[in-house]
Amino acid sequence: MSDRFDGVREARLRVLLREEPIPGAAEAKRRGLELIDSAYVERRPVQRPVLPRLVIALAVAALLAALVLSPAGAAVRDWVGDVFTAGVKNAEPALTDIPGGGDLLVQSPRGPWVVHADGSRRLLGDYDAATWSPHGLYVAVASGRSLSAIEPNGTPHWSITAPGRISDPRWSPSGFRIAYRAGRSLRVERADGSGGSLVAVASAAVPPAWYPPGPHLLAYVDAEHRLVLAEADTGKRIDVAGASPGVHRLGSAAASPGVTSLSWSNDGSELLEIARRGLWLRNVTLGKLTGLALSGTARRIAPPAGAVVRAAAFAPRHRIVAVLLERHSTAGPRSEVLLLDPAGGPPRRLFAVSGQLTELAWSPDGRRLLLAWPAADQWLFVPVARGPRLRAIGDVSSVFAPGKQGHVTFPRIEGWCC
Amino acid sequence: MGAEVKERKLIREAQRGSRDALAALYAAHWGNAQRAAYLVVHDAGAAEDIAQEAFLAAVDGLDRFDRRRPFAPWLHRIVVNRAIDWARREALRRGAGDPEDSAAAVHVDEPGAGELMPALAQLPPEQRAVVVLRYLLEYTPGEIARMLELPRGTVNSRLRRGLDRLRDLIEVER
Repeated sequence: MSDRFDGVREARLRVLLREEPIPGAAEAKRRGLELIDSAYVERRPVQRPVLPRLVIALAVAALLAALVLSPAGAAVRDWVGDVFTAGVKNAEPALTDIPGGGDLLVQSPRGPWVVHADGSRRLLGDYDAATWSPHGLYVAVASGRSLSAIEPNGTPHWSITAPGRISDPRWSPSGFRIAYRAGRSLRVERADGSGGSLVAVASAAVPPAWYPPGPHLLAYVDAEHRLVLAEADTGKRIDVAGASPGVHRLGSAAASPGVTSLSWSNDGSELLEIARRGLWLRNVTLGKLTGLALSGTARRIAPPAGAVVRAAAFAPRHRIVAVLLERHSTAGPRSEVLLLDPAGGPPRRLFAVSGQLTELAWSPDGRRLLLAWPAADQWLFVPVARGPRLRAIGDVSSVFAPGKQGHVTFPRIEGWCC
Repeated sequence: MGAEVKERKLIREAQRGSRDALAALYAAHWGNAQRAAYLVVHDAGAAEDIAQEAFLAAVDGLDRFDRRRPFAPWLHRIVVNRAIDWARREALRRGAGDPEDSAAAVHVDEPGAGELMPALAQLPPEQRAVVVLRYLLEYTPGEIARMLELPRGTVNSRLRRGLDRLRDLIEVER
């Protein structure tokens, strides 16, 4: 052997093996210690020789609980067989509060529900879509061609009728505008219901996204699959075929292929285009003469080999992106949640399960993620920072379909507010 | 010898409930466990999972652990076998031809681009594992054979084939 791979090469190989950098090694070590320490604490007290079988059973139960309850530990549960493939085993049987507080807006087959921090909930009515106003003071709801503003207790304030079926309502951060798609067109309504404007005659089936810090700047994908940044309140119209008078189109660029949703960074400096095949991150700069402008090219963040992007969103207060990835193998689907820093650096794996997670939503304070697991009929409230533990809520679909027997459609998360 | 005595003491204290002792064991062994897994699977997230799982198994089996035996081989055996299993599954999945694998621009799992990982990637996981056990963790072929439950001749042949393939890929200055 040594004549083929001599001592010099062996020494070089040893050095390379010892020094190869591991992405995120320090963070992984910290997470691992937290997990192991947690499992160790939960296995105590161990008093041999009292009831050794019982002790072992408790230790195993504690270990399994730690695997499930810890975000990092949940990632390793693949190895312990199929025990939890149908969901987190010790999920709480009822939604008695919202971990971390705030109010949820949830779309069920019967309509949108408001869920308050104490777990109390109210069905708003027979609407197809809903969006929170800033601070959760109102909810805009859509049903057919009707758009309405109502209070979270269901009290209606106004309604308008649009020329087409309404979808994807989005309340502006200023609180003064609501964007929505009516058929293929994209429109903006004043939040007091006193009138609005047509932004684009035709748009792609992608929800529009309001620019967070500014007045009424809206990103959307038009019918030609161009990403557009438009301002609905200026009196100017420039170079925009198909846009109505009063719409100031600030910039456009070819949208990324397959984009299904858009997400702004909190400071409005970056716009994320989310597609199954990856994320595209685009800088948005503030020019002195031209106002906002989209950068010409988007930086692609590809998922790991074999994975597709199921959902992604910027955190509400930090420049961190949560990405829900899905992989398929002969063993079935596997979902992972990564936290990415757009500025670079290795991603942090927050959570993983053998199963199909379908949605994610940030808590208002950015300290938790809500993950939907329809096959397990569970919501998972996963802490992003140190401190609170994962909480799993079971039997979610029946919560939003009281009295209904048989199959119940799993609800959709529309927003987590304030 | 001093290190072995110290480790036995740590295990005894951990068995008695000392979190500090467990943390010391973790600090002593996490690095190699994670590194060994990473060098076999080439995926930092998977390596973290594998190392965590090995330590959780250690916690689970702590009370039954025979303090006369060294801790590291037992841990490394779990790590390397898990890593081989994971790498085999990945190879099978890639062999199935997932169309989403193509045209990646910036991979979130992208490791540091050195000369080692591309070279190791050319080896099957079983050969990577014996190379790692031999040259990172410094086990003898006989010890590796016992850990992987393989004939010693198989270990030697895997080692030889692996090194042969690495020979031209690892640059040395003379």
